[in-house]
Order: sequence, then structure tokens, then C-alpha cells
Amino acid sequence: MADASIEFKGSSFTLSVLHLRTSKLADIRADLARKVAQAPDFFYLVPLVVSIEQLECSIDYQAIKTLIEEFNFTFVGFTGSVAKEQRKLIREQGFSFVNTMKTNPSKVNSSEKTAIVEEPVATEPKTKAIPPQRHLYTDKVHRGQIRSGQQVYAKDQNLVVIGSVSAGAEVIADGNIHVYGSLRGRAIAGATGHHKAQIYCQHLEAELVSINGNYWLSESMEQHWGAPVYIHLTDSELTSSKLI
Amino acid sequence: MARIIVVTSGKGGVGKTTSSAAIGLGLALKGHKVVLIDFDIGLRNLDLIMGCERRVVYDFVNVINGEATLNQALIKDKRVSSLSILPASQTRDKDALNKENVGKVLEELGKSYDFIVCDSPAGIEAGAMMALYYADEAIVTTNPEVSSVRDSDRILGMLASRSRRAELGLEPIKEHLLLTRYSPKRVAEGEMLSVEDVKDILSIPLLGVIPESQAVLKASNAGEPVILDTMSDAGKAYQDVIERLLGETVEFRFLQVEKKGILSRLFGG
Repeated sequence: MADASIEFKGSSFTLSVLHLRTSKLADIRADLARKVAQAPDFFYLVPLVVSIEQLECSIDYQAIKTLIEEFNFTFVGFTGSVAKEQRKLIREQGFSFVNTMKTNPSKVNSSEKTAIVEEPVATEPKTKAIPPQRHLYTDKVHRGQIRSGQQVYAKDQNLVVIGSVSAGAEVIADGNIHVYGSLRGRAIAGATGHHKAQIYCQHLEAELVSINGNYWLSESMEQHWGAPVYIHLTDSELTSSKLI
Repeated sequence: MARIIVVTSGKGGVGKTTSSAAIGLGLALKGHKVVLIDFDIGLRNLDLIMGCERRVVYDFVNVINGEATLNQALIKDKRVSSLSILPASQTRDKDALNKENVGKVLEELGKSYDFIVCDSPAGIEAGAMMALYYADEAIVTTNPEVSSVRDSDRILGMLASRSRRAELGLEPIKEHLLLTRYSPKRVAEGEMLSVEDVKDILSIPLLGVIPESQAVLKASNAGEPVILDTMSDAGKAYQDVIERLLGETVEFRFLQVEKKGILSRLFGG
């Protein structure tokens, strides 16, 4: 069968590379914050490859990805000339590893006293391996109230709302939903099929809650109406339990 | 810099125009230079409430289209000289406004006025968006009933996402809650949402509570903003609103059911 609608082709792109010089997350965060603060618009949604070549010890890959995304970069993968085992480990954790055509660490100005260095390099594109099915979700954090008519979707993520969800608003997550306020609108957890997803809220007054396609309208929530609860699935049946 | 205040609500008939007129006049009475703009193109009302409908020659749309100058269109209030009104057009529709020209008019007005009060049309369409786009502050007018609160919530979402301040990533619009047509008696009887209920749902600071009052209808028909009726509860409540807008701390009144005196109790008051 011919794939008329799609075609895979290789192209070269210039991507920004973030060279890590330390595995201390706090240092990386501080330096990254300083860098981004200088030109927030410039860095917004910039695809970023993280080089771990200069690291002497191992690092929490998931934490790095989360950190990068916190600063609104688009995380692409890791790079650097490292041992085969380490590449394998990275892949196994569900991250792509980007091979560089040539690495030139000497170009990196190591006299600069920052934990990170940015430098654009040309990378050879590669077809992304399909990551193994996993339920390691990161969090999308929304500060403030989600108002009527607004919709927030945390794709492949948990959703944390620091505020209330108004009636007529909709919060959707592929993972769990946490509402640290009143849940008055609709909450749909495990949206792409995840039966272990849960919904937590401080005050249940929802119009609808749904986990993995099983839903309740407000009339089914009478038992814990107005209480702090979490909602989960037990044998394809929604169950609500008091948080405290 | 003038403070641009939009009086908005989402829902119609909750008292936006009444409140705009009362607040505009109240600020002017305090000695500030105020211009009231009617953004409700096609449903000209503000001039009626202000009692200047017979003096409308040119309107907002004429100014936008360059058919008249601002000075030709502005109507000076006869009661307070520091207040002007820019009336809406009765014959055009809301598409007659565009962001760029509205921005120019507001900028021009900002040079000579302290406050620009924009009376928004109801709804969430282009007209209402235009009224809130340039605002620095918003007075969200709400009746204590669920549909009005729901619509106000929707408008609050728009203020946070569709305004100029939101688009440019500036400090967000300052939001104020103005609860109108409040009847403590009906709240006590459980027929109406209480101030606390509304505050809890909308979670924005309370600017004022205007009690349901006969004086409002009387004032509207007479073209005398209710704030001039200093004997009425509604007039007093609007005066408190002005104090709070100007940064004073004033205790909220008219939240409790009034205790009847012995005479009115005897005669069924």
C-alpha cells in the first residue's frame, strides 16, 4: 500500500543545544532562569537538545526534561558522545537520543561561570523511535481560576489547578487532575484511556467528572457533595472517597 | 494617565448603564475629569440615563469614521462641568468600531481626562470585546442569581485573555465586583445568592453592593443618575463605590435585612 498521504524524509535543522556542566538541578535552574529572563520571547517554545557530554555523573533525565519544559522550551532529546549503555538507558526511559555529526566541545567557552552553555549545532535528523507505553506523567500547573467557557487540556500530563474550576469550564488531562480549590465545572481525567487516572479536589461541586470514559453527572455525587474528595475507578465503576 | 474603566457583565439588564452613569457622575462630583463612553452601538441608552438625549448631534461612530471631531461629539454634562458623554450611534451596528480607531480616540481622550468610563454592551461578541480591550480596570456588574454570575465568570475569563493587557503580557486588568439589585430579605429567604456566595464563585475583590431600590427606575426615567438621589439606599451605595474606587476603605452597607421599627411593625410597613 502506498503512503500517499505522508512521506518520511531527512532534513538538517539548526537546533539549540544546552550543554550541562553539572548535574545539580538547582544550579541549572538558577542559570537557566537568569538566561531566559534576558530574552523570554526569544526562548519561548524553542526546540532544545540537551547535551550530557560534559557530565561526570548520571542525571535524572525526567527531571531535566521537566525543568526544560518549565521554562517553555520544547524538549527534543539528549545528545553528546556518551557510552552505548547510557544511550540505551536514555532510550529505555522514553527519551530520544540525537546523534551529532561531529561534536566540538572545545568550542564551548568553559571560562564562563554558568552551569549551562547554549550553542547551535547542526544535527542529523533521525526518525524518532516510538517510545514504549508508559504512564510517567509530568505535571501541567495552572495558577489561578479557570473560568466559565475556558478549557485547559494537559496532553500526556497530569493537570494541577491552583485555584478553582468554575461552572461551565472544562479541565482535561491524560493523567490525573488535582484541583486545589472548588471543582464546579467538568473534569475529565485519563482522557486518552488510562483507567488508573484520578481526580482530586478540595470541594466537589462538579457538573461532570469522567475517568477513562466512565462519567458521573452532579446527581451521582450527592454522597460527597461539597467535600474534599478524590475520585477513582474500581472495576470500571467510579468511586469517590473523602480526602480527609 | 487616565484610568480606563470598563463596566461590563456578559448578561444584559443587570445594571451596566445605570452603574456607568452613577460612577461617571460620582467621580466627576469628586472633582475628577471624567468622560463616559457608550459602547452599546445601535442601542443608545447612556444618554437617556444621563438625561442628555436631546443634545446628541454627533456620536462615537462619527468620530471613529472621521466625520466629526471629538469636541463636536462630546456632550458636556449640565450638572457637573468636569463630566462629558460620548454617545453611541443609534443607526449603526457594533461592527462600526475597530480596534485601531477606538485606540486612537481613547488615547486622545486620555490626554485631557482622569477617568474614561466605558459602558459595555451585553454579550461576549465584538462590541463587548471592543469595550474591554483597552481597559485598565473592569467593574464586573453582577446580579445575585446563577446565570448572571455564570456570565460574569465568562467575562472575567475574557478580561484575562482577550484584552490588550493580556495580549501584550502587561499587568492584568484590575477586576472589581459590583453586585447590583441585592435584596437582603430575599437572600435571607434563600431565594437569592448571598454576597459571600458570589464572592466565593468569582473570587475577585468586592467593590460595592447596590441594594434593589425603587429609586433606580425613577432615576433612569428622569435622566438623573441615581447617585444624585442622596436619600436613597442605592444612591448611598454608589457613593461608597466611588470612595472605594478612589482608594478609601468604606464598610459595606445594606447587606442585612433592615430591622423594622415598632411603628412600621404595627402598621405593617
